[in-house]
Amino acid sequence: MNLYQEFLIIAGIICGLAGCASTSDEVVTSTKAASVQSSETSSLKSLTSNTSIYFDYDKSDLSVTASSQIRSLAKALKSNNSSKVSIEGHCDERGTREYNLALGERRANSVKELLVLNGVDSKRISTVSFGEEKPAVSGSNESAWSKNRRAVVKVY
Amino acid sequence: MIKSLSNFVLISFLTCISFFIHTQLRIEVTQGIKDPIRIAVTPIAWNLESPASHYIHQIISSDLSSFGEFDAIGTSEMLSLPQSEEDIYYRDWSILKVDYLVVGSTAKLDQENLLEINYSIVDVVRRRAIHRARVVGKITDLEALAHNMSDRIYREINGISGIFSTRIAYINREGDSQGDYHLRFCDINGDNDQIVLTSKEPIMSPDWSHDGKKLAYVSFEEGTSRIYIQDLKTGEREALKLENGINSSPAWSTKDDSLIAVLSKAGNPDVYKYDFKQKRWIQLTSHYGIDTEPDWSPKGDKFLFTSNRSGSPQIYEMNISKNTIRRKTFIGDYNARARYTPDGKSFVFVHRVDGDFHIAIQNLKTSKIRILTDTDLDESPTISPNGNLVLYATKNGTKDVLSGITIDGATKFSLPTISGEVRDPSWSPLFK
Repeated sequence: MNLYQEFLIIAGIICGLAGCASTSDEVVTSTKAASVQSSETSSLKSLTSNTSIYFDYDKSDLSVTASSQIRSLAKALKSNNSSKVSIEGHCDERGTREYNLALGERRANSVKELLVLNGVDSKRISTVSFGEEKPAVSGSNESAWSKNRRAVVKVY
Repeated sequence: MIKSLSNFVLISFLTCISFFIHTQLRIEVTQGIKDPIRIAVTPIAWNLESPASHYIHQIISSDLSSFGEFDAIGTSEMLSLPQSEEDIYYRDWSILKVDYLVVGSTAKLDQENLLEINYSIVDVVRRRAIHRARVVGKITDLEALAHNMSDRIYREINGISGIFSTRIAYINREGDSQGDYHLRFCDINGDNDQIVLTSKEPIMSPDWSHDGKKLAYVSFEEGTSRIYIQDLKTGEREALKLENGINSSPAWSTKDDSLIAVLSKAGNPDVYKYDFKQKRWIQLTSHYGIDTEPDWSPKGDKFLFTSNRSGSPQIYEMNISKNTIRRKTFIGDYNARARYTPDGKSFVFVHRVDGDFHIAIQNLKTSKIRILTDTDLDESPTISPNGNLVLYATKNGTKDVLSGITIDGATKFSLPTISGEVRDPSWSPLFK
């Protein structure tokens, strides 16, 4: 059932990406996605460091890359049951601050949902949105914006 | 209930620092109107021994010319300095093309520390006073007295109240990206700048209570967003009931102490009203989309809010008693954070055109939109209580700055800062 739901989500995302490929600024290549997916060591490493998951503008759905990042993370989390997860949702500076606070929460929730679908106990996960208040990179250009539209997964 | 102070948060007890005047913001007119009204405010005759400020006329001149609507001539240009209507030699003023003249004198009252100012506003062309007034105040409050006179002079000439006694609350971040966040407020001219709250974590969305005595705002000092209310005189602070998810966008009623805000405790952001007695939240909107950024109508029967229920952020209006919701914006794919004009007939909001975010105004009846700004990352619009000016946050390079524009678009101004970033402005009501 879980796998089926996940399949539907990812299928939806792929359709979504295909639909707005011309406006999407994050180029997702299949090789990039595959390399993350197959790399067990990177997922173990990510348990001790923060993982950033990036989003399209005004979107909270997960890209193929993001989904495979989260699945690897879920696998590592399941093999280490004592750790807890906090997910921060963030936005770029465009649009209004209060709307972005809501959007940031959607992003954090998207990550949480996929972790839970992949077997991580929801009680281990907390989410918080900072909207556009805590950019990772300063600057008013696409390069900065794409790095600020993110969810940061912290394992502790 | 006053929350205990954590290490990271400092509530400034304003009374203690009110003597510390630090100017953070200054209005600079960047685009003025072609024919501002020429006014001359002569030095108010000072019949007192007190060495206190002789500068009432300078404060008034500076107030009136601050948004470019008036051109107040300096004392050095004046050919005579009348102190009452009888002393006016009209040719001295018509030769300077002055439209209006303000003359007056002070007298000390029997009561300790009180003085009165008698003044007249004179129409130079018609050669008669359009207004005569007597104001009484404390000698120690001369500055406030002068701002009140500016408000009155503005109203007698323009037909709407001046806003020189109002204040602006805003968020300021020091220097670099590691800097502290401050919630501050100051007079319109930047004077009497005071810090309400200092925190290592973000502060956002300040909003004034209807009487101008309290600010509601969102602070992340506990690691997550939470709504606080702070009395500006006592510094006393109340933390509103924290719910799971975001706690955001507090909006006071313009009539009483009612407050609405946005919570996502039910799984998605909706608008709630706070019950101060029971300390609980009552749900007003319910939709799986994002509902946020509410603003009460001046009558208090409706509120505007942003919702992405149609797929993109648009402005909606809810009638509270009828429990009905109507979509208000249909042009563009990003319309957000609407604020009613004081007459309740229009709203200003963030409107995206070709990828750029501008401040625009829309008439509620005709739905006609007029774009007010030409910069591209504009947000957080707030309207002066006389409905004449819009202040908003924008970017100057990579820096967050405040800018403003008259609602007719004729005059533009900026509020440069000495240091750091400024954002999230909120205009106070008129103080009674």
